[in-house]
Parts: sequence; structure tokens; C-alpha cells
Amino acid sequence: MRKALSTLWDGRGFDLLLVGIPLVFLIAISGSALVYNVIMSFQEVDIFSLGTFFRPFVGLDNYIAVLTDPQAWPIFGNTLIFVLCSLGGQFLFGFFLALFFNMQFPGSTYLRGLFLVSWVMPGLVTGAIWNWLLAGDFGVINFFLESIGVIDDPIFWRSSPDFALWSVIITNIWFGTAFNMILLSVGLAAIPKDLYEAASLDGANAFRRFYTITLPMMRPTIGALLSLGLIFTLQQFDLFAAITDGGPNNSSNVAQYWAWQLSFREYDFARGATVSVLMITLVIIAAVFYVRSTRHEVRG
Amino acid sequence: MTPTTRNTLLIACGLVLAAIYLFPLYWMYVTALKTSTAMFAAPPSFVPPNPQWDVFAGVWVERHMATYLKNSLIIASCSVLFIATLGSGCAYVLARYRSVWVDVGLFLVLMLQVLPASLMVTPIFVGFSQIGLLDYPRIAVIVAITAKAMPFFVVLVRATFMNVPAELEEAALVDGNSRFGAFFHIVLPLARNGILVSALLIFMQAFGEFVYSKSLIQDVELQPASVGLSTFMGPNSVDWNRIMAYASIYVTPILAAFVLLQRKIVSGLTSGALK
Amino acid sequence: MTTQIEFNAVEKYYGRYHALKNVNLTIEKGEFVALVGPSGCGKSTLLRTLAGLEKITGGEVKIAGELMNDMPPRRRDIAMVFQSYALYPHMTVEENLTYSLRTHGMKKKDAQEKAREVAETTGLSNLLERYPRELSGGQRQRVAMSRAIIRDPKAFLFDEPLSNLDAALRVHMRKEIRTLHDRLGATSVYVTHDQIEAMTMADRVVLMKEGRIVQQGAPLELYDSPANQFVAGFIGSPAMNFLPATVGDDGHSLKLELGDGNVLPYPGELEAGRKVTVGLRPEHLELVSADEAQFSLKLRIAEATGATTFLFTDSDPEIAVVINDRAAVTPGEALNMRIDPEQIHIFDRETGVRL
Repeated sequence: MRKALSTLWDGRGFDLLLVGIPLVFLIAISGSALVYNVIMSFQEVDIFSLGTFFRPFVGLDNYIAVLTDPQAWPIFGNTLIFVLCSLGGQFLFGFFLALFFNMQFPGSTYLRGLFLVSWVMPGLVTGAIWNWLLAGDFGVINFFLESIGVIDDPIFWRSSPDFALWSVIITNIWFGTAFNMILLSVGLAAIPKDLYEAASLDGANAFRRFYTITLPMMRPTIGALLSLGLIFTLQQFDLFAAITDGGPNNSSNVAQYWAWQLSFREYDFARGATVSVLMITLVIIAAVFYVRSTRHEVRG
Repeated sequence: MTPTTRNTLLIACGLVLAAIYLFPLYWMYVTALKTSTAMFAAPPSFVPPNPQWDVFAGVWVERHMATYLKNSLIIASCSVLFIATLGSGCAYVLARYRSVWVDVGLFLVLMLQVLPASLMVTPIFVGFSQIGLLDYPRIAVIVAITAKAMPFFVVLVRATFMNVPAELEEAALVDGNSRFGAFFHIVLPLARNGILVSALLIFMQAFGEFVYSKSLIQDVELQPASVGLSTFMGPNSVDWNRIMAYASIYVTPILAAFVLLQRKIVSGLTSGALK
Repeated sequence: MTTQIEFNAVEKYYGRYHALKNVNLTIEKGEFVALVGPSGCGKSTLLRTLAGLEKITGGEVKIAGELMNDMPPRRRDIAMVFQSYALYPHMTVEENLTYSLRTHGMKKKDAQEKAREVAETTGLSNLLERYPRELSGGQRQRVAMSRAIIRDPKAFLFDEPLSNLDAALRVHMRKEIRTLHDRLGATSVYVTHDQIEAMTMADRVVLMKEGRIVQQGAPLELYDSPANQFVAGFIGSPAMNFLPATVGDDGHSLKLELGDGNVLPYPGELEAGRKVTVGLRPEHLELVSADEAQFSLKLRIAEATGATTFLFTDSDPEIAVVINDRAAVTPGEALNMRIDPEQIHIFDRETGVRL
């Protein structure tokens, strides 16, 4: 016993204690939630059976119900559009800004850092601001677009089924661009300067240098960033809550928001759990890619 | 082109880009200061003609912001406290050793980092209500946020611990310390900056947290400011100047902290996020 | 003489990797022992098992007669100087010096008094308020030393403490550490990969390879009679020349296999026709006139450093010769060499063991 106690201060016991408590906590909360989620997706759950663990099992009924729901495929389609366009937009704007700020001028680091406010703000506030920016009659975005002549009549961003999803995508791009830029800047800064000098001596112009040096050298960063972006995009919830609420008529709804709506608006926890299970599977696949693309760094 | 003109040109471009990017924030403050009529004026004015400074006090009282912000503070502080206490030790062990088990632990942490809150909230809600934790909704939210955000904290702080040379700790052991003493006297002080920056990032996240608070807290008296803002907005709100005033009050402390500590936050984030 | 440190049949495994193989070593009180060997030979591991930073898998480690196997570092009463110095960056020099005293429960005032005393002897008196980052490499090294000697421990452990210094400072600190050791009457174990450091500082050199002790003894003992070809090649700079040879029919001559029938005389008696490796130290080869020469080879290149000249022959394997003179021969000409037969080392071709 004395020996067991002294290892807490002097040996392996200390490490096990430090790493054990948090891991047990994480597994107790997140791990059991994951398992419970899967169990519920095979059960019949309603507001009356919430309090018991022994609910009737219904096999694949929930999955069939979700996948045959007429809303389901449009929502999955929206999720795909949301993810691809957000990722692409964030990445392209982020890369552009990272390249610009990589040119090193007085104050460039500070100015670049300021962009990150978009990332640390509460999502609800970001959503509220863009909700107002994108307002139909009095929104300042419509005003800008009209004054430069892109549109003649105001676009009803949030209430038109054609634009509702795009209003969330635009906001999400704004939200994530800064994060992309910062991480891409780190990757750019890590490229040795003499590579560019060597390429210049070899007669490569700026365009060629970008394609033959910058892009290949950035490949690990880009891979990690895209997987990380995919993970973050699939976590996005606040902007939907603050801008369109998935509407009108589910035209801007995505799976992660729908799952929540099923549980907390319709109190259909079984179907909420089912959509969650489907999406979590997707997220975990993305995460495995992320871990693999940073694998060479994982052991640091 | 001389270096100075090049720099002037680049600074000008940089400022323009920053101005465009940060315009939404400016618009939030400007709108807050406008009267209801100025707000709906066409064309919109970019400097409020008749700034309404008392809007902040009005919204503060009328929307019970003191209660909301107090709840946000309680939730964020307690979450950060738990996360920093539990997560630092975990990050330290995962940084110090190299073995199959460490890799397994790290993989587990990375996997838990990516689970979206809106998908985890269903089983958490049902589970918590079954074990009675929903009777203490703020604690329920704190537990949920701790589980959600700790992995990210561990990843960031682990990078900090990797920069503390193992030899320093060994020197402390030879100098007469236990593992316990060496960790608290030598390793923790040296990792302090990284831990504080990561804790600040987690605090900002928790301060704006919405999904768990919205789903697990029914009692208005216990809800944080993010839920308060969503209630204020409603489906067809026209009160934009006052909503923006609410948003300004809510977000300004975060912006101030960020601008002050920007350099450290950015470097803390970049050292951990890609590793 | 009393025994201060004992390793008895020490084994260390990292998973499957066998890092220390049956290490037996006894160190007397007051002795300065250098552990030397190529990287990965286990010398640092051995030191760390003595400090308690690594647990041994088998055998026993004793300090002052007391079994240390399960003792944490803090109960071993040893001091260690690390390669990186491991100065606590968030503490001043004084706090670095007093840290171990304070953890052992000394009063702050007494500890500071002691720190001033030590700083006096190591020339750090006016640096006590500085932080490590404000010191030069040499000063940091001194702080690390002072931190070790402040405690009067049972043994001093050094883990390549000079490898981060430039060459001139290294030579200087070599003498300083040895002087300090003598003054304190301390017991020191010193790990280094640099055989010159080991030779110049230590009372006894312990040469390790692949987790085993290959040979131990006084520095010149290792130089004069290396137990095998590995020791012979490791000790001495520039390294010993190794030439394949066959023992002549009379058992008193060595036919060098350099392709031109050179033969060296050998005073000892060897089995005729035996395949051996001949070891010739570059500094033992003399340049002589053609008729005095035992063997001749063409000069390929000469490197003059002023005081000495390094000559390399155009043969396979190449032979290095060091002379304390300018070279009178130009590349392409014959290099006429002889060596005192007593200075010839013979090793078994297969096992490398000295004959």
C-alpha cells in the first residue's frame, strides 16, 4: 500500500493519475453518449419513455423512417452544398489573404491577427450581425450590390428558398476565412526562402514558382486544413439558429441542424439520434483523414 | 519601386482588406447607435447621424442582460476551470512520453475533439435527464462543455508541454523533488503562458456556447447571453438597433481581450492546431 | 579506499531493445570515472540508471553500500550536470543554486549564504540576480556546475556537460572540472563521446559498446594495451591504422596484404600462416631513409597543420602517418616507414581480440 502511494509521487502512478482522470471523464460523458446514441437509434423513444432505459427495440425502423422522409435527401443535399461551398470559400479567401500577408510589410503580422476576431466571436453574434447585413429591404449588402449595379431589386436572402442556404454559407465563409488564413500563413512561412531564390535563378516566374514550389510544399498543411475545415463545417450550428432556422421550408436546413430539430422541436429523439449517428460516422471518417494527414506530426 | 513605396502600398492594401473584412463589426456598432428611423433609411448612413448612446443602458436593463451575462460568465469560468485542471495533466503525459498507449490516448482525444455538439446533444439530453443532472441545468451544461472542449485544450497545451525540455524536469528530480513537486514547481510554471492562452481561447468558446445551453436549460433565469440573444431576435424581429446593441455589449469584452492578447492567442493557436 | 558506487549485473530493456547487458562496475570514493563510447552504446543510459531517471530491469545499483533499485532520484543524494545544463529558465542564478537546498528543507537564509559561498569559488558572484537566458554559454555551464557542488552529494554525474561549448572553452573547462573534483574530494561519473575528454580528465576510463563494458582501466592502459580492435580504434587520435596481414612461416614476421609484399618484423611468436589484423598508430610510424625502411608506400596527400603533418598513403587500406615536422616528400613519391616492433598491435582477424 505504501508502495502504491509512493508511486503516485515518484513513479508511473503519477502519470496514470494525470491522464486517467480526464480520460475516464471523457469516456464517461462523450463515450457513453456515443454508445447511447447508437442504442437510441434502434429504439422507439418518445417523451413518455424518456425516463427509462428499457424501451422497445425497433430494429432498423428509425433508419428507414429517416431515409425515406421526403425532407431527408434535400437536407443531405444541402449539407453537401454547405460543406463544399463553405470549405472552398474559406480556403480560397484564406489562401489569398495568407499569400498577401506573407509579403511581409510593417504591421502585417498584427493586421493579419486582427482577422481572427471573426473566429473568436460567439457564433450567435456573428449570425445576428449577418442576419441584419443580409436583410432584404434594409440590408446593407443589398445596398452595396445595388449601388455597384450587380442587382436591380433587393435579394431576400433569408426568406427566399433560393438564397437562404447561401446566406448561411456566406456567413460561414466569413467566419472561417481567418482561421484558414492563419494556418496557411504558418505553412507558407515554413517554406525555405532559398527555394524561391533557387527557382528564380532557374528562370521560373512568379506564377510558376507558385505552382512548382508553394503548392507542393503546402500539401500537408492543405490536407490537414481541409479535413479540419470539414470537421468545423459539420459542427456549424449557431449560424443556422441565428439566420434562417433551417427555413424557409427546410430549404436551408442541414443534417446537423435537422438532427437537433427532430429531438428538441419535434421531441422525436429516436430519429434525432438516428440522424446524429449517420452524421457522426461521417465526421469520424473525416477525422481519421485529418489524423492521418498530420500523422507525421502527431508524435512531434 | 523603392522599399518604402512598396511598403506604403502594401499597408494601404492591407488596411483596405482589413476594413472590408471587419466591416460587419463596424456595422454592428453603427446600427446600435442609430434611431429606428435612421436604421431603415435608404440609402443607409455609415456614420450614425444622431447617436443614441443610451440604447446600451436601455437594452441592458430591459433584456435582463446582467442575469444572462452572469450565467455566461459562470458557465464559461467553471468550464475553463475544469478543463484546465483536468486537461493540463492529460496534455502533459501525452507530451512527455512516446509509446503505443500515448498514441492511442492521443487518437482518442483527437476523435472526441471532432464530435459536433448538435449531434451529441440528443443522447446527452436524454442521458442527463435520466440520471437527474438536468435538475441542475447549469452544471449539466458545464459538464457537457467540458467534455466537448477539453480535447481541443489538450491538443493545444500538449504542444506547449512539448517545448518544455524533459531535462529540466529530470534536473528537478535529481535536485530532490518528487514527480509531483517537479511538475508543479518546474513544468507548470514554464508552460503557464501556453496554458493561459489556451484557457482564454476555451473561455471565449464557452462564453459564446449555444447548443448545449439552448437544449439543456429551460429556466430563463439560468440561461446564458447566447440564448438570450436568440430569444431577442425571434423570427420576424425589426428591432435591429437594439439587437445590435445587445450584441455589442455581449461581444465587446471578448473583442477587447482578443485585441490586447492577439499576438499570444494567434501563436498559441498555430503551434497546436496543426499538430 | 571504500566503494562508493556499484553496478552488479545490471540489465536494462526498453521493450525488446536490450540497452544494458550485464554491466558490472565498481567506483571507489574520490575516483573520477569516465564512461565513453560511440553514440547508442548505453553510456548515458547507465548514468541515468545511477541517477534513478531510468529503472533497471535486472541486477542491482548501490550507492554508498545502499541498494538503490527502487529509490526515486530525490532519495539518492546525487547531483547531475546535464548536457543542456537544464537551468530553470524562470529562476535567477541564485534561485537555481538554492533550489536543491530548499527542496531538502534548508532555510532560505542559510541557502542563500551557501549560494554566495559557492558563487565566490566559481566566479559567479556578480551574476546571482541574472536569469539563465542573460548568461553566456560558459557562464551557464558554471551555474550548472555550481548547482551540483552546492549540495555536497555522494556522487557527481556529468552527462556530456561540455559538448555545447566551443573548442577553446571546452579545453579550459576540462581542467576546471578536474580541479574542482580534486578540491572537493568528490566521486564523479562523467559521460562523454569524446575520448580526449575521457583520457585527459579521468582516473579510469570505461569504454562501452552496444550496452556492454568493453574495457576499463587507466587512460594510458587503454591506449597501450587495448583489449581488442574496437578499443584500439576508439582510443587515440588520429585513429589507429588497421592492416590485414598473414603471419610468416617463421612466426616472427607479418606479411602485409597491401599488394606489394611488404613484411614487418614481429618480436613475439605467432602461429605461422594465421590471418591477423595489424594495428599501427599513426604517431608511432617514423619516416626514414629508403635503406632503413621496413616498408614503403606511395604518398597520396599531405595535410600540414603547422606543428604536425598528416600523411596518407596511396594504398588500400590507406595508412595515416603523423609527423611533428614539415613533409619532405611530395605526393607520388615513396614514403619509407619503420615502426618500433614493440609498438605493433596484433588482433585476431575474425574476433578482433588482441593477441
